[in-house]
Amino acid sequence: MTLLDIRNLNLAMKSYEGETQILHGIDLKIERGEIWGMVGETGSGKSLTGLSVSRLVPSPPGRYVAGSIKFRGKDVLQATDREMRGLRGRHIGMIFQDPTTNLNPAFRIGTQLVDVALHAGHADPSVLGLNPGASRGDLKKAARRAAVEMLEKVGIAKAAERIHDYPHQFSGGMRQRALIAMAMIGKPDLLIADEPTTALDVSVQAQILRLIHDLVTERNIGVLLITHNLGVVAQICSHVAVMYRGRILEAGKVDDVLKRPSHSYTQALLHSVPTAHTKRGELKGLNGLMPETAA
Amino acid sequence: MTPIAIPERRQSARLENWSRAFYRFRQSWLSIIGLAIVIALIVIAIVAPWIVPHPEHVVGGTNTGAKFQPPSAAAWLGTNALGQDMFSLVLVGSQVSLFSGLAVVFIAIVVGTIVGAIAGYFGGWIDEILMRITDLLLTIPSLILAMAVAAALGTGVWNMIIAISITWWPAYARLVRGEVLVKKEEQFVVAAHALGADWPRILGKHILPNIVSPIVIKASLDMGFAILTVASLGFVGIGVKPPTPEWGTLLSGARSYMPDYWWTAVAPGVAIFLAVLAFNLLGDGLRDVLDPKARR
Amino acid sequence: MLLYILRRLVLLLPVLLGLTLLLFIVARILPGDPVGLAAGPNATPELIAQMKRELGLDQPLPVQYWDYLTGLVSGDWGMSVFTRRPVFADIVEYLPATIELVFASLFIAVVIGIPLGLLTAVYKNGALDYATRTVALGGIAMPRFFLGLLLQMAFAAWLDVLPLSGRYPLIESPPDHVTGLYTIDAVIAGDWYAFQIALSHLALPAIAMALSPLATIMRMMRASTIEVLQQDYVMTERALGLSNRLILFKYVLKNAMTSTLTVIGLYVSWLLGGTVLVETVFDWPGLGLYATQAILTQDFMPVIGVTLIIAIIYLVTMLVVDLLYGVFNPKVRYA
Repeated sequence: MTLLDIRNLNLAMKSYEGETQILHGIDLKIERGEIWGMVGETGSGKSLTGLSVSRLVPSPPGRYVAGSIKFRGKDVLQATDREMRGLRGRHIGMIFQDPTTNLNPAFRIGTQLVDVALHAGHADPSVLGLNPGASRGDLKKAARRAAVEMLEKVGIAKAAERIHDYPHQFSGGMRQRALIAMAMIGKPDLLIADEPTTALDVSVQAQILRLIHDLVTERNIGVLLITHNLGVVAQICSHVAVMYRGRILEAGKVDDVLKRPSHSYTQALLHSVPTAHTKRGELKGLNGLMPETAA
Repeated sequence: MTPIAIPERRQSARLENWSRAFYRFRQSWLSIIGLAIVIALIVIAIVAPWIVPHPEHVVGGTNTGAKFQPPSAAAWLGTNALGQDMFSLVLVGSQVSLFSGLAVVFIAIVVGTIVGAIAGYFGGWIDEILMRITDLLLTIPSLILAMAVAAALGTGVWNMIIAISITWWPAYARLVRGEVLVKKEEQFVVAAHALGADWPRILGKHILPNIVSPIVIKASLDMGFAILTVASLGFVGIGVKPPTPEWGTLLSGARSYMPDYWWTAVAPGVAIFLAVLAFNLLGDGLRDVLDPKARR
Repeated sequence: MLLYILRRLVLLLPVLLGLTLLLFIVARILPGDPVGLAAGPNATPELIAQMKRELGLDQPLPVQYWDYLTGLVSGDWGMSVFTRRPVFADIVEYLPATIELVFASLFIAVVIGIPLGLLTAVYKNGALDYATRTVALGGIAMPRFFLGLLLQMAFAAWLDVLPLSGRYPLIESPPDHVTGLYTIDAVIAGDWYAFQIALSHLALPAIAMALSPLATIMRMMRASTIEVLQQDYVMTERALGLSNRLILFKYVLKNAMTSTLTVIGLYVSWLLGGTVLVETVFDWPGLGLYATQAILTQDFMPVIGVTLIIAIIYLVTMLVVDLLYGVFNPKVRYA
């Protein structure tokens, strides 16, 4: 069964000027073990596609005009709120762009990790290594243990101590590691990462990408990595989809698309990336229409 | 080179700002209600002595034969223990409330602005001393201090106004000082300095005109509470003495006749409530217009 | 942390010194003749002079201030001309009643205002939101003393379910004195009957004082909750499946509390000062009634004493508020 199967997704957003269509028939299939990069300019609809998979686009103003998003064979657009909550955190993990604003500043890192672990554990105790019907106390103990283990796994030294820290005591890179730990603690089948490295220092970016890459290959899960950086895609993705103004222009294996781009937009996008060999004056900007909306 | 065409303006930027502000104000029907009541209050306060049915009661005349009449066609809000017409008293009572409220806020603004501007502009030990005094006054329960001062000064509208003002200016001093500190660092003030302007000119011409908005917002929100404080002093028996009608004093007088002659209390009470509510609504509306950041 | 509290307390000393000086100056500069009032219109000059001597009012002002200051530290807060008792003893007697009233109204305001603010923020522009916002607008504009009168009229006179005024029936003896707060003392003594009586007397004045802080706390809480709900971390928490209830009552509540806390702290002073009005309406034997009486008879010492004790309570409250900031916002450092 396909892990994620998005078909003909059409999303419209209401504003006081009327309804604008944002996504025009998105089609995308992600299997386990695949790392999909989704590239495009700001406002091309990448983020909204990612949010749609967890059905996190508020409606109103959002409205799905047509299409389906089948996750493990079940359409999330038809699911109840309760079913959605069962998917989030447990089966679908999410990481967002800015690690400084995505951790709750008033709570310890550990508290936030444990709550996500408990949520996943309530749905399926095996996530925490427990048998079905485990007691509340066992769940709590296991969740705390899992939190420390997960924090260690994402490369936080002295995790058992640092778990009592507040977010402001962590550096930017460590916070993103903590957020990755939160996204992965429920042992999800699909990870959606929305610009996970954009807000980080270049030196930290590579570490975080490697971490995500290692975690997902180890667990053999599917990934949707949203980014505007083709370099990131070339580094860790197996597949890539190029988005432009709410449409997927081109999709396929990274090698095929980046080496032999068939669409002129993809070619232009590739030319806009500076490399070590780019000569002065060769770098090209993109011209085109203003995007219809902001993401 | 083609000359750059400058589009002609139909109206000045300032006028446009005002019309846009007025448009925003009109959007909120609550502010409009507030404004309407405030205008009505002002009109009533001005013309009350000429339109009330029993002007003689307002200056102390009594009619003990008709005491404690419930509201009726003859006396819309009933009569009190002295047979005076409550409607006449409450209408004329708006004079004291409005006038004292305005005077308190005005004095507080003048004193607070002077103190705050000097403290903020000069800084150093002047700032230290002025702000320590301000902070001290802010820790004292203002109502009790105002009551004590008013009682010591003796009865009378002006004594009451002075007493309340003493407790109100520190808040303005704090506000103005904060704003002056910010504006002092701005380019146009630095430029004025460089051009050799002296401090009264810089403060008066360059800084203060730019901090009018927060002061106006605070003042309009404070008007309601000033009226409330005036009525509070009247209620505990300090401030204006009969026969001059004042809402708080009227309410205090009615206390002894509750609940049988409830109308003697309800009429002035509702008047205070409406006046405070109206100024609060107006203040909220003005804040939304003048300080777009505060809007939610 | 402990060091921080100690340092803050030490820093309070100059403030208190300034406060006493200020109050002293205000009280002495102002016209008014307490001795003349207390001695009565027919008092002979000799009698007045003797009373002045007894009260130390014939000394030069700096000496009077120094005497007052040294007296303060040793618990001698001066004599009330009106009650002919030491001010300190009066304050000790009347303070618990006021504390009970202020606590009760603050409790009502916080316990109702904060959840209402949270809920109306979540169901923004719903029926509940409009209803509570309208009531809040009225609640802030409502004079406490008028509300008190209306409550008396409704619940004491017409419905006859609660007592009109007073703190405890004169013919009965209040529960054993432990804290001086009758409701708490009754609970400590396990006296259910006394608790009911104490609470029934407390209800109306507490409600009359609570409405305005309730409305303000609710508005504040609503505004800050709306702001917090738009934060990125709330989206992350939702994206990882945490229940709405957990997000709202644990993760959002704590963040939204910070700005509301300031308002609550400021209202302590407002409530303490407002007791002069509400205690007058309900004949509640607390500091407010005592102060009103003293003010009306131009009796300096009790007014200074009451103002001082309220200012001290206010300063301590602000210290507690500052400490609580640290609980709600871990970034606050005690340095």
